[in-house]
Amino acid sequence: MSTKTTEPPRIDAPPASVSGPAPSPGARLTRLLSRREARIAFLFVLPAFLLFIAFRFGPSIVGVGLSFFHYDISGELDWKGIANFQRMVADPLFWRALSVTLLFAVFSVPIALALSTVMALGVRRAFRGSRFFRSIFFLPVITSLVLAGAVFKWIFSADGPWSQLMAPLGLGGSWLGSPVLVIPALIIVGVWSRFGYGMMILIAAMQDVPRELEEAALMDGANAWQRFRFILMPHLKPTFFFLAVIETTAAFQVFDVIYVMTGGGPANASYSLVYMLYDQGFKYFNYGYAAAIGVALFVMTLAVALIQRLVIGKQK
Amino acid sequence: MSATTAPRRQRSYRALEPTGWGIVGRWIWLSIAAVFSFFPFYAMVVLSLKPGMAVELPGSLLPWGNISFSSYEQVLGGQNLLVWLGNTLIYSLVSVVIVLFLSAMAGYAFAKKRFRGKEVMFWSFLSMVMVPFHVTLIPTFIFMAWLGGVDTYWGLILPSLANAQAVFLMRQFIQGLPDELFEAARIDGAGEFRIFLRIVLPLCKPVLATLGIFVFLWHWNDFLWPLIVGKSSDMWTLTVGISSLQQQSVPLSVMLAGSVVALLPIFLAYLVAQRYVQEGVASAGIKG
Repeated sequence: MSTKTTEPPRIDAPPASVSGPAPSPGARLTRLLSRREARIAFLFVLPAFLLFIAFRFGPSIVGVGLSFFHYDISGELDWKGIANFQRMVADPLFWRALSVTLLFAVFSVPIALALSTVMALGVRRAFRGSRFFRSIFFLPVITSLVLAGAVFKWIFSADGPWSQLMAPLGLGGSWLGSPVLVIPALIIVGVWSRFGYGMMILIAAMQDVPRELEEAALMDGANAWQRFRFILMPHLKPTFFFLAVIETTAAFQVFDVIYVMTGGGPANASYSLVYMLYDQGFKYFNYGYAAAIGVALFVMTLAVALIQRLVIGKQK
Repeated sequence: MSATTAPRRQRSYRALEPTGWGIVGRWIWLSIAAVFSFFPFYAMVVLSLKPGMAVELPGSLLPWGNISFSSYEQVLGGQNLLVWLGNTLIYSLVSVVIVLFLSAMAGYAFAKKRFRGKEVMFWSFLSMVMVPFHVTLIPTFIFMAWLGGVDTYWGLILPSLANAQAVFLMRQFIQGLPDELFEAARIDGAGEFRIFLRIVLPLCKPVLATLGIFVFLWHWNDFLWPLIVGKSSDMWTLTVGISSLQQQSVPLSVMLAGSVVALLPIFLAYLVAQRYVQEGVASAGIKG
């Protein structure tokens, strides 16, 4: 699967054997066989498709529909029009959750991408130890932040190593207990868990750049920064876009790390959109309102995809 | 590569690489980065081995002195950790087998067959890529509650089997296989399902290995759905159980021992299948 673009893969052309109107006995047999084959092929897709309809496609449609209803644990379904959205826009907690989510995304994505790039530049070619370093940097990607949450809670606690490291700068004390520093702490954890993924993708993309180009630039006296800026960067642009989009949409959905490390606190300082969705849905059982928050998340994701389309379109 | 260009290439290749102190410098900055990146894992292991005392920096981080496994005994004995481990294994392994099988079947049909409704089906898979999972969360839960799947294994597993990325990946791979391989078997009179089992699946081994390890990872690390669907603590997975430990007043060393136990299987899997994981990300862009 190509990582370079998010363009949808095209449906392959139909096999030639099926087309053609020739009604000769041989052709009729082929058509009969291919009809049988088509039926079997349909059965091959069916289990995956039914699961998909039941647990992905269907719930997505229902999820959007539900945002126009009042629906709670009592099971009564009331059409409310856009009331849930009106409530959302008037809810200060929603704006808090939105700004927390955006703040997290706006900082964690570029920092993670920059770090991915630097690391990829460091380990992209084979040298003694390159595989070791790649593995070490990739390890956080496969690590669940829920399972590793305890150690991070300790690291950012008042007597943890991070606070002690930051104390000379006047930033001591528990970062997770501070309404100002809690988001930077979550950003650090988010970057830690994601930079290895971008690094791995960028290493692969950098290997596609012809070595001759870099060699030629070197002989023309280009320094390391110039070689990166003018030789590698233009080739890596689509990869950066790909990473920026998937990392941003993932950052919009930040939940696990907040759930285990701060519980949305202190004083809602780290209350994210998905956290709000979870609270409304599974603590207060306001299913309709929770669905409306889901729709907001969907719109944000679509906006990112749209921006990507526009930027790529402009470049072409 | 022809023999005449090879030596020149090698020489200029070296020119792009650091030499002498450059090599040392690269080692140093990468090592510093590695220390920062690895520190949480290190601290997790060392502090889990030092129970019952206040953490003092930097003394407590030394890998010797007062080493004790009592936190492990406590977390394995007192809590439901082994139950959660078992649940996570069931959740992950059952899902891997079913997802691989169903997505290979669907991918084969999408890649090599022509049938009515193919385009519609394929586009409905594709259209969901940009829809966040969380949009489906509430309806899926309501549906599952209606089916009676809350707090059951099948209720936990079933929704996670709908995996569009797996189908795309299998389709992509099978498209690259030459048709002749299937045609020959068909002429020999083999049935479609037999062809799938005997020819398609064995040919897909490398991509199945890559996909398998990722499906395993996703399920092992999955949190929100198991949190919602698992009501009683003996239906929890490790992520849900470990997160609940953090809300009780469990000593740090015991909590970290729980983290180590929960992360160990995934690290072992990574160690064994490292090549597939890294290739899966690099060449297929599978989300981590």
